[in-house]
Amino acid sequence: MNFFKRAWLNVWAKKGRSVLLILVSSAILMFVLAGLLIRSAAVKATDQAKADVGATVTLSANRQAAFKKMQSSSSSTSKSSRPKMTLTPVKLSDATKISKLSNVKSTNVTSSTTVNAKSYDVVSTSTGMGSSNGGPGGMKSSASTGDTQIDGVTATSLTTAFSNSQSKITKGRGITAADKNTHNVVIENDLASQNDLTVGDTITVKEIAGDKAKVKLKVVGIYKASSTSTSASPMSADPANTMYTSYTLANTFKGSKYANTADSVTFNISNPAKVSSVKKAGKQLINTSKYALSTDDASYQTVKASMANVKSFANKIVWLVAIAGTIILALIVILMIRERRFEIGVLLSLGEARWKIMAQFFTEMLMVIVVAVAIAGAGGKFVGDQLGSQLVSQSTTTQTTATSSTGQPGGSGQPGGNGTRGGAGGPGSTTSTTSAKAADTDLDINVSAVDLAELGGFGLAITFLSIMIASGGILRLEPKKVLIS
Amino acid sequence: MLKTEGLGYWYQDKSEPLFQDINLTFEVGQSYAILGHSGTGKTTFLSLIAGLDKPKAGDILLDDRSLKKIGLTTYRRHDVSIVFQAYNLFTYMSPLNNLLTAMAITDAEHAGDKHFALRTLNDLGINEDLATRNVQHLSGGQQQRVAIARTMACDAQLVVADEPTGNLDEDNTKEVIAQFQKIAHDRQKCVIIVTHEPDVAAQCDHQYRLENKQFTQLA
Repeated sequence: MNFFKRAWLNVWAKKGRSVLLILVSSAILMFVLAGLLIRSAAVKATDQAKADVGATVTLSANRQAAFKKMQSSSSSTSKSSRPKMTLTPVKLSDATKISKLSNVKSTNVTSSTTVNAKSYDVVSTSTGMGSSNGGPGGMKSSASTGDTQIDGVTATSLTTAFSNSQSKITKGRGITAADKNTHNVVIENDLASQNDLTVGDTITVKEIAGDKAKVKLKVVGIYKASSTSTSASPMSADPANTMYTSYTLANTFKGSKYANTADSVTFNISNPAKVSSVKKAGKQLINTSKYALSTDDASYQTVKASMANVKSFANKIVWLVAIAGTIILALIVILMIRERRFEIGVLLSLGEARWKIMAQFFTEMLMVIVVAVAIAGAGGKFVGDQLGSQLVSQSTTTQTTATSSTGQPGGSGQPGGNGTRGGAGGPGSTTSTTSAKAADTDLDINVSAVDLAELGGFGLAITFLSIMIASGGILRLEPKKVLIS
Repeated sequence: MLKTEGLGYWYQDKSEPLFQDINLTFEVGQSYAILGHSGTGKTTFLSLIAGLDKPKAGDILLDDRSLKKIGLTTYRRHDVSIVFQAYNLFTYMSPLNNLLTAMAITDAEHAGDKHFALRTLNDLGINEDLATRNVQHLSGGQQQRVAIARTMACDAQLVVADEPTGNLDEDNTKEVIAQFQKIAHDRQKCVIIVTHEPDVAAQCDHQYRLENKQFTQLA
């Protein structure tokens, strides 16, 4: 194995050339590593997105079936008595069955209604079209709409507004499952400021259904709502007039027949890829003529698509740089071999095998590549970070634009019941939610031993190919022509 | 030891050979000079007996074995050692490493023996200090002596030299030719020197002149 010693002597003796080769190889490998890191980070980010972004399945009244039923009944009745669309509230017993399915991480029961303020003043919104301090739009009768929106939930942390940080608890705490059957309430910051309310205070509201009783509520938390979370539609209420309570209290406001029911129940799925299977299994457990299961994995899909773009681009970087690197190194090796024709001639005149001469050049390049891998390992993270953040921001922008242009469905409508309660979700809110989630997805770029091993593999392959391409000159070289002129 | 049988060589036109039907015999313990003007084909003849090229006609036999059968790479590795006019040393190595490398490649008896290599160099006036410097820091005469030491360190019985004194002054020329004579007589090797200098040729045991496509032995 004399060629190892020759290779070492050559690399050591020609330090300047070796350093230049190390720098060129390091630059090539740095970009290869950056590509590899971005690719593996994109895979990790996609996996993380499954856990973080999540997806939901929502159980609610079957609007389509109810609408068809209304249409068929309208054709058989006189025009003077127009039929109403009746939506059946979701039974909590049905929701419990679905919540027991595998991959259901948590359940959020939602029940909304409106009440009238009694001991405080609601926040008025001036839109230029007259003040609007009524409840949310939808299928409500405007005559019996309260001025305060009550959003009954299992826990505020499970709601989209809070999980997406569009709303944040600023004082006290949010509603939790422990608030079930209590009169605890979380109010908005502006409403609290306007009425000098703070955590621990009591407020009074008046029901607009049933016996229209006055009910005292205890403020356990104050939240700040993002002003961008709701459109400025004149039909919608000022977000400051929305209070969060336990769904049991919301049901009490609606009336006794709403006990153990909900407008909708949202099931958070642990693995977004399993959304379809949960929906399929859930349908077996409910009466689909009355209830519908809808899925929302838009956030996951957006992040997944964004990461797929990044991964695809990273793959292209890896291969393009590898191919370009091979060509560049091959050209350098060809030039190097040309200037070492005499040395090759002497080796051949001594009876050295041609493969051993090639092995010497390969060993020389290998020594260079080993150092280059170490340098690239140190610098690759920096390049990867820069490229990765640029790619993610571009990709997220593209995805958000695409999402906005296609439009997102509004939130599920809440059953109207007797026509005095509930409201439809406003359109457009999901778009901002999705883009916010996608923007949050950052690439966690770290150089692992596996990445370095993969980089070493690429380095080895590039070196081998370069030497093979350049070795044509060695194989054709005739020592007589070189040594005896 | 080495015989040429009906040896002939031409480049493009077979009808205009450089030389043809050459039958010569070279023995160990003897030195031979091949004289001739430029372009007569003496260097081509040397490249054939050095195993750097294949003859177009005839054969070369080493101890009655054809080089075709031995194989040129094996022949160059074990049976022949070449000294060039331009020295052709490994320029990124010291004289010592040049010798050790050649000894390793040719599977010489003393391969890897640093002391043997230093002793061989010392015999040719290259002391340990010079032996461990880069060869490019040595004078032309010293480099040629390193090249000769390389042939001595290897076990090849045949030493061929192409104009070995072409780049040397008179004193170095005498010294180098004396070393070749020692190699032939003391180490019992066959030395064939191609030269255009009659003074150099005169110091060899046998002299041949290549003229008109034929070799003529000089008295």
